[in-house]
Amino acid sequence: MGPLSYILDLLVFIGIFGIVSLSLNLEYGFAGLANFGKVAFFLIGAYTYALLSQIGVPFYLCLIAGALISAIFGLLISLPALRLRADYLAIAVLAFGEILRLVVRAENIGGWRGMVHISPVFSWMGSSLIYRLENIGLVYFCLLICFIAAQLLANSPYGRAMRAIREDEVAAEALGKNRARYKAQVLMLGSAMAGVGGGLYAQYLQCLIPGMFMPMITFTVWIMVLLGGPANNWGALLGAGLVELFDRGANMAKDYLALPIDPSNLQYILFGALIIFVLLYRPQGLLKESPIKTKALEAARYARSAIKNKGS
Amino acid sequence: MAVNWAQVLFNSVVTGSLYLIGAVGLTLTYGLSNFPNFAHAEFITLGAFIGYFVAEQLGLGLPAALVVAFLVTGIVGFLCYRGIFQPLAERGATIIHLMVASIALGFILRHSINAIWSQSPYYFTTTWPSYTIGPVVTSSLRVWLILIAIALAIIMHLILVETKIGKAIRATSSNPELALASGINVNRVIWITWFIGAGLAAVAGVLRGAGTLVNPMAGWDVILPIFAVVILGGIGNYYGSIAAAFIIGLAENFGVVALRAVELPTEYRIAVAFLILIITLIVKPQGLAMLFRRA
Repeated sequence: MGPLSYILDLLVFIGIFGIVSLSLNLEYGFAGLANFGKVAFFLIGAYTYALLSQIGVPFYLCLIAGALISAIFGLLISLPALRLRADYLAIAVLAFGEILRLVVRAENIGGWRGMVHISPVFSWMGSSLIYRLENIGLVYFCLLICFIAAQLLANSPYGRAMRAIREDEVAAEALGKNRARYKAQVLMLGSAMAGVGGGLYAQYLQCLIPGMFMPMITFTVWIMVLLGGPANNWGALLGAGLVELFDRGANMAKDYLALPIDPSNLQYILFGALIIFVLLYRPQGLLKESPIKTKALEAARYARSAIKNKGS
Repeated sequence: MAVNWAQVLFNSVVTGSLYLIGAVGLTLTYGLSNFPNFAHAEFITLGAFIGYFVAEQLGLGLPAALVVAFLVTGIVGFLCYRGIFQPLAERGATIIHLMVASIALGFILRHSINAIWSQSPYYFTTTWPSYTIGPVVTSSLRVWLILIAIALAIIMHLILVETKIGKAIRATSSNPELALASGINVNRVIWITWFIGAGLAAVAGVLRGAGTLVNPMAGWDVILPIFAVVILGGIGNYYGSIAAAFIIGLAENFGVVALRAVELPTEYRIAVAFLILIITLIVKPQGLAMLFRRA
């Protein structure tokens, strides 16, 4: 792989994980839901895409179907835990992800040990460079749609209701916000986005095995959101970029550095240490929570500054 | 195919015993510190590796392995709480922050283990003599496992009910402010509980490692049923977790019989625990806790 090709490959990964990171930011950042099973919805999107594309369904329908099925599972799995404390949801969803991977492996979905081959949307004819550029186009188009949706949602009355539920469930409920319904909807949306990410992942890699969907994926996405800044969509993207860069950098360093311990172990240890460091010293992440924007607030700010100017 | 029900029942007790030893520490620290410590899986793994090191590489035998694994992992557990979770809690971390930190700690521990013992998986070379009691075939290791679980259940009961520290643990678990106001050193109580909890996880790890194999995923492979035990038993409820461990042991082993009968892969046995977990959340999120005196 040439250097340019390598950078394009990295950009595709940043795009795909940017989508997943946005979805977790919606759930955790804005609504305060601990989705510890992100990888499950990523897996559903990927396998839905793979299985449908094998029977000749056009790729955009595969992506949409993956998002829908992911959303349905997101709703089903969260229903038992929605009225309970955050830890119950975390345990239930984490367990769901593990079971799902086991089912895919045990059922031999797609053939031996769950290995599926997918024919790519873009052909390899021409060069791998053009192939990657085409993929970047597709992935970043999806990312843009997800980002706009997430931004609109965050600045809408709905987004403010999500933040209210995150800050104080009981108070939000007292103001007439049905917290269980909001949480279920947010989990559906988040899962749908993760499903799109999974579909793109499958399309780009052209081969899936259950071992690709370890809990490490979930954890990586958590690092992206926590590092970038929860409740800030730009932060989620920044986090995705930084974590992927770090990942690649560590992979490259492997070839040039002679370390006393296996670099892949060291990488996970550093990831773990990084997250604990962020939680201890900068729990708000690199970027602060995006401020609430409404017409009324803007008017109030304008009025305040006007009064200040008059006074001086 | 005829099913040897006595054997299935015996296997259930063996499974339940392992889950009990693994779950007691988790449920106690969960109840006391108010968050599920996902790194508990890695305490189990660490125990398995230390057990292998002492029993096989140093050749000191299983009893020494159990004691050393308990002590070393207990100290690691205490240090983890003191170094990571206590500062986080003091800075006002949310339950989600604590959970994420515990997963991060799990990765650090698992990959440190992987870096130290890079040649895994390891297998215990000791052969355990097997016995036939009526229709049941068993090995000395499994008898050890059951005896240790019973002894543990009794000792923990005595500690919680009779000793000063046990009463302090229960008091802090049910009302930390009141415990503090009554002159209990709450931090010390939590430290001791984390020491005992991690130590017991290590005991479970040694016993599981001796029976199967020792690899960096050893703890993660049993953490789901152990979480199911904790939730079904009621978080922080010691007696509930005893009942839940054996219920899930039974369900899993009878589940395997059922899976064989309908010709499904027996890899689904872990899904049985997951099913119980979900049903508990739907029907009775507080688990079996109401059946037992608060502990």
